[in-house]
Amino acid sequence: MTSSILEELRAAVIEGDTEKSMTFAKKALESNIPPLDAITKGLAKGVKEVGDLFSEGEVFLVELVMAGDAMKAGMSVLLPAIKESKTEMTSPGKVMIGTVQGDIHSIGKDIVGTLLEADGFEVVNLGEDVASDVFVEKVKEHKPNILGLSSLLTATMPAQKDVIKKLKTAGLRGDVKVIIGGAPTTQEWADEIEADGWAGDAVSAVKLVKQLIKS
Amino acid sequence: MYQILSRGEIAAIHTAAMEVLERVGIVIQHDKALKTLAKAGATVDKKTKVVKISEALVNEALQKSPRRHKLVARNPKYNIVIGDGKSYFTNAFGAHYTIDLHTGERRLSTVKDLEEFTLLSDYFPTVDYIKPNILPQDIPKTTWEQEMALAMFKSSEKHLSNVALTPEGWRDVIEMAKIYSGGDEEFRKNPSIIDTGFNNVPPLKYTREIIDMILDCAKNRIPFDISTGLLSSASGPVTLAGTIVQGIAENHAIVVLTQLIGPGTPIMWGSCATIMDQRYGTAAYGSPENGLIHAAFCQMAHFYGLPYYGAAGVIDSKVPDQQAAYENMMNALLATVSGADVVHDAVYGIVEAGVTASYEMFAISNDICGAIKRVAKGIRVTPETLAVDLIEAVGHEKNHLNTPDALRFTKKHLKEEQWYPLISNRTSRPEWEKRGSKTVEEVANEKIKEILATHSIEPLEKEKETAMRKLIKEAAKRAKSS
Repeated sequence: MTSSILEELRAAVIEGDTEKSMTFAKKALESNIPPLDAITKGLAKGVKEVGDLFSEGEVFLVELVMAGDAMKAGMSVLLPAIKESKTEMTSPGKVMIGTVQGDIHSIGKDIVGTLLEADGFEVVNLGEDVASDVFVEKVKEHKPNILGLSSLLTATMPAQKDVIKKLKTAGLRGDVKVIIGGAPTTQEWADEIEADGWAGDAVSAVKLVKQLIKS
Repeated sequence: MYQILSRGEIAAIHTAAMEVLERVGIVIQHDKALKTLAKAGATVDKKTKVVKISEALVNEALQKSPRRHKLVARNPKYNIVIGDGKSYFTNAFGAHYTIDLHTGERRLSTVKDLEEFTLLSDYFPTVDYIKPNILPQDIPKTTWEQEMALAMFKSSEKHLSNVALTPEGWRDVIEMAKIYSGGDEEFRKNPSIIDTGFNNVPPLKYTREIIDMILDCAKNRIPFDISTGLLSSASGPVTLAGTIVQGIAENHAIVVLTQLIGPGTPIMWGSCATIMDQRYGTAAYGSPENGLIHAAFCQMAHFYGLPYYGAAGVIDSKVPDQQAAYENMMNALLATVSGADVVHDAVYGIVEAGVTASYEMFAISNDICGAIKRVAKGIRVTPETLAVDLIEAVGHEKNHLNTPDALRFTKKHLKEEQWYPLISNRTSRPEWEKRGSKTVEEVANEKIKEILATHSIEPLEKEKETAMRKLIKEAAKRAKSS
């Protein structure tokens, strides 16, 4: 019984079925399956599988996003139970992302967020047109391992430099690794503003995050 | 002409686009623009900055939007009329890396690259007007647009399209255009001595800075191209039809606004949209879907009485190889035979989807585009070209190389009938071996070096250059103090 519910949770994620995910998450709770197991042995297994297939080019981005959505839906049902039981949820890391001030482009950054979530990372997406001070505030609040700054306009690139400067002033620079991205940015620009890394596309961004978390 | 949409499909797409404009609306993050649109009858939500525009307003604006407009060049022999029935080609826009011509190393782009690519654009006959091929990484961003404009003004006699990145920078470029024209009065009479281009933030949004610059164009009647940059299945629907619907709505918002502020401002209207490759999350420009979008979007532009501007010819390949060649050919050809008035990014000296400039690719693309222009030229059918009398004169026993009539006929018509590539090889094999058994990429490299060493233009007048440099210095000072 247990294994079939876990199976269904995994399947729901692979199929990108939000309804099914929530239904079986509820069933898992009703069957007294530890909520953490429902995640690690059910939902997360499905997400890992889809993520691996995506890296192999066997599955499309849309399916990855839908799998992520199904996982989040199932999680939303399970999280209250996890909070109650006070169990620690381990994840490979916490990544905060946002588009800098004056810039409303979102898709590239959102794809990075999706891929990271598919790999089990906890992602805090601050959205677009985020003021430098807000980035600093949120870093203080959420304590991410990595902060990702996106800029798609040459006019807003300086804000990437500004955020790093403000993190230094606030004494937070050493607590978080900062990576940048976006069409007009380059490795050389990242080096110039003393960022910890640069990525030119979503898949490289995920590799970079994994690299930096390890070190 | 390749007409991919039927009349019914054109009507359906138009209706759908109007529904999007009227029901969904567009975000315009510019209060003054919103006021203007509201005064004209559009529905504006001041909080969300969404403006909903009726078909009536669109029709009014289309009435004022020119079907044809001149783009003026420093040398009048290069003047062109957009919308005269021909497909005009531009070079590529916006690389920030360059594959070094001498070392083959991929390095950051420089202002010197921009000057060279502009000079090459001046040389290559397939380039009708010139876009900034390079976004140089070796000049301060505070005077970026201004330095780029000067580099281009110095390097070609053809019409130049300058980049507008910031309102302050663009205003300086307009001042430089006045100097370039020979004065305020000359510029007022011929504002189309320059033009520029804008994109939206899909889906359905425009930022304050972009609108600021568009308004400056409208006030000065400076022509510009507006092209949706939506990525199908990411910032727009996965269906190509839905992509076109959204793009039309996005573009038309700007047509309406522009004609309210500056009636008669020439607008080149179109698309640099393509699909997002769902396998990698990357934009796929060398895709057949990109060409299809251009074909259909072009028909819609003509339905609206607007010149079609399509970014067709962009390459995904990271190197100037066979993939690059087929991508460039497929989409520039599709756009041309569909009747595009401007094929932007046609003569494409960039690889890696707009990132890395390649001199070799530029020369190869010049041949590709030369061939495309020959296709666009078509076949002349006249009593003379039908050549019945000549065929009879040559008869059965002789041929067209040993009959005086035929030789005269060939001499008379050859230039009009046959196009020749600059670097592509058609010699016999022994001749090709004698010349070093070179690939077209190798020949391209040599040809580029030869052109750069020998091609020259009328230099920009000393006083104009001095005046422009003075303006740039002042801009730098202003930036420093602020």
